[in-house]
Amino acid sequence: MVHDETVMGTVTSFTVFQGALSPGEVEAAVDAACAELHRLDDIFSTWQDESPMSRLRRGDLALAEVPSEISDVLALCRAAKTATAGWFDPWSMPGGVDPTGLVKGWAVESAAEVLRRAGAPSAMINAGGDITAFGAPAPGQKWTIGIRHPWRVDALARVLEIVSAVATSGTYERGEHLVDPFTAEHASAVASATVTGPDLALADAFATALAVAGEIGLDFVREAVGYDAYLILLDGTEVSTDGISFALPKTSDGRGGDGSGRSA
Amino acid sequence: MKRFPIVLAGAVSALAAVVGLHSRTAAGHAISVGPANAGSANGSAGTTQATSPPTTNPSPSTTNPSPSTTNPPPPTTAPATAVARTSTGPVEQYGYGELSVRVTVTGNKITHLAVPTLQTAEQYSQQLAAQVIPMLTSEVLKAQSINIYGISGATYTAEAYVTSLQSALKNLHFS
Repeated sequence: MVHDETVMGTVTSFTVFQGALSPGEVEAAVDAACAELHRLDDIFSTWQDESPMSRLRRGDLALAEVPSEISDVLALCRAAKTATAGWFDPWSMPGGVDPTGLVKGWAVESAAEVLRRAGAPSAMINAGGDITAFGAPAPGQKWTIGIRHPWRVDALARVLEIVSAVATSGTYERGEHLVDPFTAEHASAVASATVTGPDLALADAFATALAVAGEIGLDFVREAVGYDAYLILLDGTEVSTDGISFALPKTSDGRGGDGSGRSA
Repeated sequence: MKRFPIVLAGAVSALAAVVGLHSRTAAGHAISVGPANAGSANGSAGTTQATSPPTTNPSPSTTNPSPSTTNPPPPTTAPATAVARTSTGPVEQYGYGELSVRVTVTGNKITHLAVPTLQTAEQYSQQLAAQVIPMLTSEVLKAQSINIYGISGATYTAEAYVTSLQSALKNLHFS
């Protein structure tokens, strides 16, 4: 089953394989997952003036007065800040703490958990280019995900094989979220930063951090178990960590990165 | 979150081209806009309709200084009897700004697309204005050349565009 839902300022696409479920059960599972996304969006949206997150940012509410999900996410933000050596820092955003760089991935993981609990054998959720998946699209196959080309809207830069989550942060369409936490200035070191790993919230945070930190940020990705990164630098050079799995072999020379782990 | 009312002509052409990529999976409409090789974001908004001649303005301007003797001939691609109808979709937020899409339908064809509302981050507009566009060193892969299940990379703008466009088309009972 394929379903598109407009939520969190973007379109979220569900691809759910039904396995032993009835069509009605799959539909109910997707409905519940969508409801979860809307519920979390209502809590976290910084576009809704009256959302708990907005009221917390304004100082209308204290942390003890907002839903516990906000504390959970802020705790995860602190962990992500540590894991990225400070390059991902929701507290350096203009206008107060802003977990936007992580919360979408976190919400999508929560929606995926709804599908999993409902018994779906495999599924993929794509929230505006941030993707999480579980199971397999077909026996023995991996999910293949195209990485958007940073300068061409009609092309892909690469196709990656993923097991669970992938997030890409780029400077081609967004700008405001890329703030250098050390200088508080808008910054971008790469054209596109893609991170794969077990959890979309952290992959999202890593990708955001890498987009600002650039190549030196690969070090903190290497230290995070299960996470890998693929960068397209501003001059078009590509670098990646060892565990990235490209679905197609690279044809031209370039810098495939440090043993770019292409799949056979 | 700060927003700046800056209209980006350059962005518009890029957005329109994104729809071409998107329409295969999202909308059933055959949206024939956007040159596939819109690799440059430096084009003007007008270039998005390069393949279809501009239709006559459906809302006559009261300040029109001259009688319409200089009107261009009607587009030859549209049936002579077709009437151009225009609708503007709602302003859609896309996370870091907002936009709306205006569509003109002539007969059963989309003949004109425009983005009358586009607000975005100031930094982004500066980046676009200054952007030099290098090419990737690797071979470019066409989206349709390999079986993929999804595309990673922010597509907020494209999705807001499609959503507003779909609403505008619905207004015109266009399907």
